[in-house]
Amino acid sequence: MREKRKISGFQKKYLVYTLTLLFVALLFTSVGITGYMYKNQTSIITDKYAFYNEKAGISLDSLYHKTEEVTADCIVNNMVQGSLSSAGLSDVEKNSLSKYFAYMNLDDISEYCYVDNKKNVYTRSYTKLSYNTFSTSGFIDKLGDSYAKTIWFVSEDKLFGTNEKSLYIGRKVHSQNYAQKVGYLFIKMNPEFLKGLMDVDNSYSSDVATGIIDPDGYIVATSYPDSFELSKKAEDELRLAAAVEEAGPIVKNKSISGGKLFVYRQKESGFSFFTIIPDSTFYKGLNNLYKVLAIIYLVAIICAVLLSIYMSNMITRPIRVLNQAMEEFNGDDFGHIIELNTNTELDNIGKAYNELLDKIKSLLEEVKAQQKELRHGELNMLISQINPHFIYNTLDTIYMLARINKEETTMKMIQALSKYLRLSLSKGSEIVTLEDELENVKSYMQIQQIRNENLFTYSVGCDVDPKKTYILKLILQPIVENAIKYGFCDIYEGGKIDIKIWEESKMLVLSVYNSGKSIDEDKATLINSLKNKPILEGKTAILPNEKNGYGIYNVLTRLRLMYGEDIEFMFKPEEDGTSCIIKIPKESVRNEEG
Amino acid sequence: MKKAKKIIVKTALVFLLTMLSACGKKDVVEEKEETSQVIKIPVIFTVDPTTGKKNNYELAAAFNEAYEGKYYLDVSWVLETEEEYRQNLRRMNVTDTLPAIIYDVCTVPSFYKMMVEDERIENLTPYIESDPEWKEMIEPAVLKGCTYENGNIYLGPISTAAFTCSGMFWNEDLFRAAGIEEFPKTWSDFWKVCDKLDAKGIIPLALHTEGTGWAPMLISTASIADTDEGLAFMREVLPDTYDTKSGRKLVTNIQKLFQYTTKDAIHSDYDVAYSNFFTGTAAMIPNGYWMIDQVPEKWNDRVRFSAFPENTMVASPETFGWAIVSSYSDEIKEAAVEFLKFRTRFNKGEKENFFAKESNQTEGLYKDYMHAFESVERIVPNYQVKWNSILQEKTLGKALALTADNSISPDEFIDMMNESVIEYNKEQ
Repeated sequence: MREKRKISGFQKKYLVYTLTLLFVALLFTSVGITGYMYKNQTSIITDKYAFYNEKAGISLDSLYHKTEEVTADCIVNNMVQGSLSSAGLSDVEKNSLSKYFAYMNLDDISEYCYVDNKKNVYTRSYTKLSYNTFSTSGFIDKLGDSYAKTIWFVSEDKLFGTNEKSLYIGRKVHSQNYAQKVGYLFIKMNPEFLKGLMDVDNSYSSDVATGIIDPDGYIVATSYPDSFELSKKAEDELRLAAAVEEAGPIVKNKSISGGKLFVYRQKESGFSFFTIIPDSTFYKGLNNLYKVLAIIYLVAIICAVLLSIYMSNMITRPIRVLNQAMEEFNGDDFGHIIELNTNTELDNIGKAYNELLDKIKSLLEEVKAQQKELRHGELNMLISQINPHFIYNTLDTIYMLARINKEETTMKMIQALSKYLRLSLSKGSEIVTLEDELENVKSYMQIQQIRNENLFTYSVGCDVDPKKTYILKLILQPIVENAIKYGFCDIYEGGKIDIKIWEESKMLVLSVYNSGKSIDEDKATLINSLKNKPILEGKTAILPNEKNGYGIYNVLTRLRLMYGEDIEFMFKPEEDGTSCIIKIPKESVRNEEG
Repeated sequence: MKKAKKIIVKTALVFLLTMLSACGKKDVVEEKEETSQVIKIPVIFTVDPTTGKKNNYELAAAFNEAYEGKYYLDVSWVLETEEEYRQNLRRMNVTDTLPAIIYDVCTVPSFYKMMVEDERIENLTPYIESDPEWKEMIEPAVLKGCTYENGNIYLGPISTAAFTCSGMFWNEDLFRAAGIEEFPKTWSDFWKVCDKLDAKGIIPLALHTEGTGWAPMLISTASIADTDEGLAFMREVLPDTYDTKSGRKLVTNIQKLFQYTTKDAIHSDYDVAYSNFFTGTAAMIPNGYWMIDQVPEKWNDRVRFSAFPENTMVASPETFGWAIVSSYSDEIKEAAVEFLKFRTRFNKGEKENFFAKESNQTEGLYKDYMHAFESVERIVPNYQVKWNSILQEKTLGKALALTADNSISPDEFIDMMNESVIEYNKEQ
């Protein structure tokens, strides 16, 4: 069953950062777009309703002037003027005049009354209005000091008995020719008279609250959206804004509680048309924007996530391969090679990993071999150290028997072997004085001279103080052994071994010359090249069959382990033999001394 | 990593705050339109329906130039006759739509009285009295004429009566055709000239009956002022009766005048008479100085001007007085006062320029007018400022037509005039 792969690690971080960046970008974009759109939307809406309010205000102007014209026509009407003359009107003329007003060119008239300067009252035929009712209604006072201006005012209906608050249009009626008493004309308007202004354009009025307010702050007519409610605070602010003597668009885009206010004040009447744009209207247009943005952002986020996964996958897949290979590597299986073909730096990393694996494998094998050797050495050491005293006592016993039997050669050999073993076994320490080392090799050569009579002679020359110079033990013996074994393999006598020790350029030089067979050039070159190669390679090179050359390999390995890579170990074929030269840094030698 | 996150967060906050602060800015500023500092003075001037000339155009232009940036005479040019203007004036008054400055107020005494009593026009006395320079510019006769019976001045006066006088414009070619070399010096000669012209088939007079009967009434009122009694009659304000010697003479002369006029004079207004004169149909038409500017260019050399016989001219300088409507703001009224003062100065300058010229420098009608004004022996008050409005607006039009048609006798004419007095008194 295929395991469901989780998004984690580098890919997860990549995804998180991408989404964070996208979120910040979208946040800024949202803020920017919202800000811009709000500003733009606000500008468009305010301009639109400023225009609408002014348009409605101008309609209010027109409506006022219409009432002015209509009432002016009444005032200059011959019968009206005749009613003010001293002669007055006949009954027939009075009846005609009452009917005349019914034909005023003005819509939405509810009632009217004209009172001449002789207390005659002219109304609709079915309307009963006495002069006494008229004179006590207080309506005359509503006209103030104005000579004959058209006055709009809102009042309770005390003329026609309905007591409802209505809009009235009133005007004093003067004689054109003589300074006579004045007459009065009042027209009561239906509510539709002003309502019509608010339906100037239905496309405007559905979103905003509109109305008409009189100079005293009484809201005469309104047209509010269903969701709108004019708060007390907003109403007070409206009254305050409209209570100015100026005319025209007196308030534009004023912030009030719940919205923006526009007021157009009609000059002559003092009535004002107002428009309130509720705050919700400004945001209404943004909702659609938010919906579109939400869709765009959703698509952008999905795309970003998919792209992020795809892009990150391109990077993380080889990383995962590397990671998996590393995780699965148990230290044994070096054959798990990574093959990457991404044409990126990751290919180099894969290649380096493979090389590293090879290197580790090589080192591991070397370490294993070294450990094996070490265990082998340690075993030998243990075996050799089983009971040195027993060996010495045995050798003493053999020596005594040889002495009793007067076997001189045996006695010499046992003495030499005893010296040799004392240095090899009894000391324990790896570092010995050059004196002991020379004593050891001399004992060995003496033993070999007894074994191989007349095979070789030897000489030892030391230009340094052997008591104060410390070196790794058993260096010279294996070389001498090698010289006897291979150098003198073809002779039976006359061989010569010269051991020389001197100092040269901060190095302690140990030279072992044998006059036997010269070493092969190839063999010498092979051994000399081992200096910069792994130790294990040396073994392979020197001990191809693991039977011969173990001593040389042992010396070289021990020297490199003790003194590092600064030592020199080389075989030099001579015309009449072979030299083996060992150079050890004097500093290392002195350190041992210390 | 944390530092980088902080930087991102701070940057985002700064950006957010910047955006929000930008959003908070008032994109729509509440501002009022800067009101102009120039004070406008609304006024209606007429455009002569016959000539198309804009009356008082030079005066308005001069004022607006002199007070540029401070005051502006906002003129509405209306194509109408003076009579139509006077009718509109009353309509505008009762509908409270008068311009700030009005004229021809006193040409109908009842209207003038109503405007004063209803405090519809401004009392200019304090302005004139407190401004010696202005007062000195006004001739005493003019100032007296503009002073109302209560002692206040409601009419902004012009400087001089020199340009307020009316006389007779006459067609020199037609006169010569009838063998007449000069305008008659006496009233008896006047009637003889009419006969001579008539005998030659030339209609002597361009008259009309509508309006206040301006043309026939100018001649007839001037004709009765050849005696002290007649002059006194014309100086009387709102006569109680017209059944006097002068009244009878007036009506008789009116009847006589219509024997020498065109047939279309009946039920027509002054524009018909004007047309008859400047088409060469009639030989004479009465009017004032102001008509000199309205004479068609090609008629300049053919038309002459003379005082009425007996060196008589008709003039009431107060008819040229202009009033300020009280219902305007103090600011506009002060500007209007400044305009009236400017008008007085303008008029004074006109007079000085006019009379500073030597007679040989003045040509045509202006030379005739200068000669007539300098030779005038009798100034007869304009009947329009003396007689009741019912007589002027209702009775005269009707009575003149009937007289011209010989439908009524002089006595009946006088009865009609006296009835107007009764009716007028009732209205008071």
